[in-house]
Amino acid sequence: MDTLFLARLQFAATTSIHFLFVAVTLGLVTLLVGVQTAGFVTGKPVYERLTRFWGQLYVINYVLGIATGLVMEFQFGLNWSGLSRYVGNVFGAPLAVETLVAFVLESTFLGMWIFGWHRLRRGVHLALLWGVALTAYASAFWVLVGNAWLQHPVGYEIRDGVAHLTDFGALLTNPTLGFAFGHVVAASLVTGGMLMSAVSAFHLIRRTPDFALFRKSLRIGLLTTAAAVVLLIGFGFAQFGPVGQVQPTKFGGGPDRDALVAEWTAKFGPGDYVPPTLSNVGLGFMILIGFGLFFGLLIVPLLWRDWLIRLRFPLWVVLLALPFPFVAVILGWIAREVGRQPWAVYGLLPVDRAVSPVGSGLMLTSLVGFTLLLGALAVTNWVLLARHAARGAADPALGRPPAPDTDTHPQPVFA
Amino acid sequence: MELVWYALLGLFLATYLVLGGYDYGVGLLLARGATEERRRAALTALGPFFLGNEVWLVAAAGTLLGAFPTLEGELLSGFYPAVFGALVGVVLVTAGVQLRSRPHGASARAAWDRVVVAGSLLAALGWGALLGGLLQGLPLHADGHVDGVAHLFTPFVAAVALAMLTLVAVQGATFLTLRLPAAGAASLARVARRLVPVALTAVAAATVLGLLSDRVRAAVARPAVAVLLPLALVVALLVARAALGQGRSGVAFTATSAALALPVVLVGAALWPRVLFSTVDPAASLTVADGAASEPTLSLLGWLVLPLVPALLGFQAMCWWVFRGRTDGRAPVYW
Repeated sequence: MDTLFLARLQFAATTSIHFLFVAVTLGLVTLLVGVQTAGFVTGKPVYERLTRFWGQLYVINYVLGIATGLVMEFQFGLNWSGLSRYVGNVFGAPLAVETLVAFVLESTFLGMWIFGWHRLRRGVHLALLWGVALTAYASAFWVLVGNAWLQHPVGYEIRDGVAHLTDFGALLTNPTLGFAFGHVVAASLVTGGMLMSAVSAFHLIRRTPDFALFRKSLRIGLLTTAAAVVLLIGFGFAQFGPVGQVQPTKFGGGPDRDALVAEWTAKFGPGDYVPPTLSNVGLGFMILIGFGLFFGLLIVPLLWRDWLIRLRFPLWVVLLALPFPFVAVILGWIAREVGRQPWAVYGLLPVDRAVSPVGSGLMLTSLVGFTLLLGALAVTNWVLLARHAARGAADPALGRPPAPDTDTHPQPVFA
Repeated sequence: MELVWYALLGLFLATYLVLGGYDYGVGLLLARGATEERRRAALTALGPFFLGNEVWLVAAAGTLLGAFPTLEGELLSGFYPAVFGALVGVVLVTAGVQLRSRPHGASARAAWDRVVVAGSLLAALGWGALLGGLLQGLPLHADGHVDGVAHLFTPFVAAVALAMLTLVAVQGATFLTLRLPAAGAASLARVARRLVPVALTAVAAATVLGLLSDRVRAAVARPAVAVLLPLALVVALLVARAALGQGRSGVAFTATSAALALPVVLVGAALWPRVLFSTVDPAASLTVADGAASEPTLSLLGWLVLPLVPALLGFQAMCWWVFRGRTDGRAPVYW
């Protein structure tokens, strides 16, 4: 097996695991901001309980987002040093902004939010969660600025074989950026909303005593999913135009594609410049899932007078639909990323020039090591998430009030 | 402009070693916590700071990626095994600390704590090996290609990795004397005091091996720096030991923090103006200017990022201020 293939496999594995968790992070944090703000404004205890329960799941899920994100960030240097060498002047900038402007603040705020219950003023505590959410969105935006540049390089010039930045504004108005960002945000809201609906449906099926709480989160989750799925499909189809124009090889044949392949063959030598069919098959299934979710949400009117809960079988539909958004987001990324093969930067830098010049044994060790590690952590994390979701909202560890008679307790109280 | 970014990179990296250093130090010390309560007390002391500490690693990596892309690619792929080990360690610590208290069972928690110990060990050794590797150079060719990974396996690198491990352990123990309830702090002050001589020995061994190594002597452009800064490190450790003896935890923690920041300064200053020294072709060595992004990128990042650095530090300072002091009955428990 050659180094290039192993490096691509590693990137695919890490990115896929990463996105399964960050989609939930981005979706759930939006819903958390909603419920905590509602609690702050109305003062109703149910919102505080919702925030603690869903916040706990959010925080458990967040762990894998960081762990995989760290590996992703270092992977560029470890496995794709050619990318840094030839296009780092342009591609590195949005990622640097992402880490420094968004991630550093996001994690700092989250640490204070987790430990700030009953310690900070309620307004400050709420502001921290808003900070977490806004920086999470900023993070997604800057990562997509970087990714959009790989899809369609703009705002640069080549001097001495190396790309130099000429127009940063062009990176922000990249035709492969705007709709994609909307699509990713909508997909995250669908994923987060579906998770919330499915867990609530599970508790309603089991007739957990917390009826009012899970009824509320079922409504919040389903309504969010319903609104987001419309945006999701809209932003999805809106991308076909601009992406097909700048990437004629992505969605199949046509005279544009043949002309471009001829141009590349003249410039880079003969080679296979057509992406594998895998990407378009995946795209088809993703669209199918999107429409499936859309029609599935025709059950939303059953929220009226709780028919959805009283009939019971719609709850099962909601619960069993949970895996679909996760499958769809992976297929979506495969369509976008595999669809630009064989390019690391479309039409500019082929993957075989971007990969690091390291031995295949080393790359294999790294692939197996990171994939096993992150895969095992992902499974463990899902088990923990499932257990905490099933445990219900009786007393989550997050935001548990400290022991009352503090004067006699010099030590922290562990529960 | 490169110098500003290089200084910023150094600042982020040093901050990471100081703050992440006590995460890993506390992680290592979980190995001696016989009871679940003692281990959890240590993690509660880390509490609100934990998530804010490792962000400096991400900040340093982001700065490398944006402002020093060429350096980033050659540094990380050239020292692949060290970076791989360190990253596996960081991932284990991140997941272990945050997930260990989610299961209720004592045995599951003890298993997660072993994961944290192993992760802390790997992270400290890995970053130490990277710093040692930088000081002895690597077989780098002009096309960015590095000959194998055997260059990393030398006594000097091993000594630096071990020295980093001991420094991190001292840092963790000193941090706990600052944060644990007064009753628990005294026994940790004794542990920290006993760890200092071990760290001194390891630092001395690394220094001597460095002086004896041809590769280190060739790579170091400023020998005076390379001798004076280890001496400063020794002084910092001695100050920490004395302060621990007098129960002045704040002074001791400042000193051990200096001891963790100094290696970054040492590597940056001793190699300057180079950063990657090639042992096979001196012309292929990478200077800071060669490794940096071109001018438009650096000035763009300067406009976007530099104004925010005070905010980053400010919010971290807010976190330290809000959660200052020793943990007590009102301390939030989550990890």
